[in-house]
Amino acid sequence: MASVKKDSEASSFGSARPTTEIASASPVARDLVGLLTHEDLDRARDRWRVTRARWKGRGAKRFGGLRVLWLLVGPGVLVFLGENDAPSMLSYSATGARFGIGFFIPFVALTFLMGLVVQEMTVRLGAVTHRGHAELIFDRFGKFWGFFSMGDLVLGNFLTLITEFIGIRAGLGFFGIRPVIAVGIGLLVVVAAMTTGRYWTWERITLGLAIFNGLFIPAAILAHPDWSAVGHAMLTWTPLPTGHASEILLLILADIGATVTPWMIFFQQSAVVDKGMQPRDIRAGRFDTLLGALLATVFAIAALLATVPLFHHGIDASQFEGAQFAEALEPWIGHVGAALFALGIFEAGIVAAIAISTSSAYAFGEVLQTGHSLNRPVRDAWPFYSTLLGSACAAAGLVLIPHAPLEFVVLTVNVIAVLAMPPALAFLILLVNDRDVMGEHVNGFWENAAGIAVTVLLVCVGIGFGLATVFPSLLGR
Amino acid sequence: MKPNDSESKFAGNPRRADSVPEIAAKPDLEDPRVVLSLLETDQVVAAKQKTRFGRRNLSVGVQVLLWGLRIYVVAMLVLVVVSVIRAIHPMH
Repeated sequence: MASVKKDSEASSFGSARPTTEIASASPVARDLVGLLTHEDLDRARDRWRVTRARWKGRGAKRFGGLRVLWLLVGPGVLVFLGENDAPSMLSYSATGARFGIGFFIPFVALTFLMGLVVQEMTVRLGAVTHRGHAELIFDRFGKFWGFFSMGDLVLGNFLTLITEFIGIRAGLGFFGIRPVIAVGIGLLVVVAAMTTGRYWTWERITLGLAIFNGLFIPAAILAHPDWSAVGHAMLTWTPLPTGHASEILLLILADIGATVTPWMIFFQQSAVVDKGMQPRDIRAGRFDTLLGALLATVFAIAALLATVPLFHHGIDASQFEGAQFAEALEPWIGHVGAALFALGIFEAGIVAAIAISTSSAYAFGEVLQTGHSLNRPVRDAWPFYSTLLGSACAAAGLVLIPHAPLEFVVLTVNVIAVLAMPPALAFLILLVNDRDVMGEHVNGFWENAAGIAVTVLLVCVGIGFGLATVFPSLLGR
Repeated sequence: MKPNDSESKFAGNPRRADSVPEIAAKPDLEDPRVVLSLLETDQVVAAKQKTRFGRRNLSVGVQVLLWGLRIYVVAMLVLVVVSVIRAIHPMH
């Protein structure tokens, strides 16, 4: 067990420790009575609903169980559907257009399994410690490593936000909407979501938007894929992709980066904390995460299948941007199918813009020790909301600059996400094995094995990318 | 550790044992004791602000791991830039 350095700032409240002690029964209850905030009241209201649902469900477990699940579902679904963002859906689309039905379908499912392994740990961390990921890293590893982690997050998030607004612009561009209006609509939605002043309301609004990630399903159905080939591919992982090894490697990296990224760790843990989840909610949190992974897997594969007609007709989609996919697909999936595809790209950009800008705001608030909750009104947590809105506005503004070299961002954002993941995973695995922090909820053997396997795989893939870049002839280019 | 959580507290409270109407009623959040009975100590903003888990001692192995991964990321970012430059300006 790692020994603990006593923090010099620990007061009569003592050091933090893993506990399910109820606040009213704690030795400091009397001190807390006069210190409650609006955030505490909102969180208590949310906990009341869960308590009441569990209590009412004691006589009819299934109903009570379903109601509790409904109340606790949120962070997991949001993080995975948020990760099905514009560049991710375009990665899947590019994969389908380039390689058709085959290896990449089960591979995409595998990447979501990797994401599930990672995200499950964030649920436990958030529910047990009631602290966000950035805050925990700063607490346990110090400012030096904390700022390194924040640097990865800030860089990755900002680049990804830019691509979300590119997706928003491209998605609405299919309908002839001018870029400045499309980007403005995107910003309006982000602002509207953040001004609810209630985590619960923000979550339900964003979930409502996120479910439209399913628009790729009707687009895929309209592409009339060979379903028996899909089933064959899922079982056998064939046919294998053919072509330049470097191109295949890049798509593998992009598809992994479309599923496993640092912002997901920071976001889901902070959302679990903001939602007020407790250790007894971990099981529901796992279900929430699994549900999110399953939905996102289905929607991702749908995006891949929707562009298979381009593969069958030999259309080179390697330089396509968002709207061009929809336009190129129209002869084969019809105007309705193409419109659904374009709307799906728009939705992917919107939800991700909300989630990613929120993850940046959570991280800054945790590090700067300012109010960082969607349960706080704007006037009480203006640094938090300023970060949220500021990051979205900066990304949106860049997208509107004429001739801005954004192709660099689009080409690299998912690859950068994969490359930045190993250090983020290292901190996550160290924290979730820290008994001083997690108590009885530390990782077991299989959880560690799975987490380490994911980390090693990402490092190996990254090294492969590095070798391919330095020695292109290695891959026969 | 047996949880002394809000739901166990309500279950054991004779006032709540069979009181469905009371459970159905809205909580009196004006009463701070009700609020504190629903949250764990560390969920209360004031309590969380006043406590820290504290720095852990990093073993040599952990430091080597963290530094190794940090060097890996920096090296990879350089290669990403190289890769993008090649993609945008292919050599003939």
